[in-house]
Amino acid sequence: MKIDKKIVISIFIFFSLIFVSEIFAGDSPAEDFQTDECYKCHLENDALPKDFNKEDIHLKSGLTCAGCHGGDATKDDMDEAMDPKAGFIGKPTHEQIPSFCGKCHSHIQYMRKYRPRIPTDQEEQYYTSQHGMLLKKGDQKVAVCSSCHTSHSIFEVKDSRSSVYPLNVPETCNRCHGDKEYMKNYKIPVDQYKKYAKSVHGIALLKKQDTGAPACNDCHGNHGAMPPGISSTSFVCGECHVNNLNYFNESAMGKAFSENELHGCQECHGSHEIEKPTDEMTGVGEESVCLNCHDEGDDGYIAAKKIYEELKSSVALHDSAKIQLDVVKRIGMDDIDIGYKLQKAEQSIIKARTLVHTFDPEKVAKETNLSLKNSKEALELAQKEIKDAQIRRRGLGVATFFILLLIIAVYFKIRNIEAKGKN
Amino acid sequence: MSVKRRKFLDYILSLGFTGLVGSIIYPALSYLKPPKQAEAAVNSVKAGKVNEIPVNSGKIVRFGRKPVILIRTSTDEFIAFTATCTHLGCIVQYREDKQQIWCACHNGLFDLKGRNISGPPPRPLDPFLVQIIDDEIIIAKPKRMS
Repeated sequence: MKIDKKIVISIFIFFSLIFVSEIFAGDSPAEDFQTDECYKCHLENDALPKDFNKEDIHLKSGLTCAGCHGGDATKDDMDEAMDPKAGFIGKPTHEQIPSFCGKCHSHIQYMRKYRPRIPTDQEEQYYTSQHGMLLKKGDQKVAVCSSCHTSHSIFEVKDSRSSVYPLNVPETCNRCHGDKEYMKNYKIPVDQYKKYAKSVHGIALLKKQDTGAPACNDCHGNHGAMPPGISSTSFVCGECHVNNLNYFNESAMGKAFSENELHGCQECHGSHEIEKPTDEMTGVGEESVCLNCHDEGDDGYIAAKKIYEELKSSVALHDSAKIQLDVVKRIGMDDIDIGYKLQKAEQSIIKARTLVHTFDPEKVAKETNLSLKNSKEALELAQKEIKDAQIRRRGLGVATFFILLLIIAVYFKIRNIEAKGKN
Repeated sequence: MSVKRRKFLDYILSLGFTGLVGSIIYPALSYLKPPKQAEAAVNSVKAGKVNEIPVNSGKIVRFGRKPVILIRTSTDEFIAFTATCTHLGCIVQYREDKQQIWCACHNGLFDLKGRNISGPPPRPLDPFLVQIIDDEIIIAKPKRMS
């Protein structure tokens, strides 16, 4: 039986197409999404939302257009599909968005199906935020859910494509808060992002990509975002800098700050522009923050000077020992003990720097003395190792000398024997 | 050749030979003396006998250049993590009262899985493997680290 070549090719192409479509079926937004009439029609008319993304978390979970916007996605007739009788809502207004998203996200039973651990109080929290309160007053410019999360490109927070992924949060907030024109009626600064990017936190997050570093939401809150009040600023910092806050609160300074309604941490460290603290922030030099309030000769001035001197002397000895450690490493001698001692010394310096928040020179001195002790021991060990290396080097020189001497002596001895033999 | 010169040559020869023998024997004897420290690059260390560590306590063990914290939990399990805090590198310690790992520098806390749970540490502590062989505690690098 002769089979037509064209039929064979057609059958082959047909099955290949089925095979290929099966492979790519997994990549489609949702299994039945390609047959969704909303998607089909909007795609054909090039009317999909600008931020439409097939990887959107809702789409991936099977929530199609009608899931949020209502209507009947099985009807190809536009009027029938978008009939209010079919529950069509369309595009929500700005003030409708929190309740629009909250319809599902505030529903514990509903959300449990998708994410059993997801919080369902975002909407409630939102209305306690500055954004939410202004929205209630009719402000049409304040951030709503979609302002931060986008509308159709929503990803899980831990997904780096998400606008609220830790590394992306500062940029997301800055889209509004850095826009001078957009923010002009709110009378708040618009340089927070610039300041933050230069701060110790900003550098850790944005440059070093350390997702453990705080972004805007870690201090201001997420859905309940508010500027921290005077009494809560220290608690915000104390969330991570626990010891610093405890020492500060227990100190006489903490009480004085509280009585005078001063921001605990912010007065010395700033807020968005927090730089890596230096020892020079204590003391009585040009960079001293103590002199912002204290005058020459008063108790605070004397304490600041003592604290700086304690820190500086322990850092200086630690650094000298560190240089010797590098020498020991370079010459290939045993550096393990020295390294341990120096780690202890460094640890005491770190503790002393934290104890600065007690504003008590004696407490600082307890740790700096420990640091000095360990640095001194490390220095002695390093010097011993360096001396040992020198002894070894000299030993090698002596051995080489004796070998050469022996070679020369053997040479002359052989000559002597040969001369004797001739005679 | 004069006798004086020959004697001098013999003297030099003996001196050179003695020196050479000394140069060979001294390093050999130094090598036989056990080293003060364990090798810098280690894959496992002995951390002592089981009965040396009470239940609900911890101790710092040197693992080459790194300190490791070994903990015997209140449920009598042995666990170990790198003892260097992921914040600024201070050495952490076990807090019997909290049954957690604590960094005294900035009050950072880690749970007994090594996860950072409070304070400034940005990352968890790296875990180490603990094995008990003939009542001896052996701490080893996990496979992915070795």
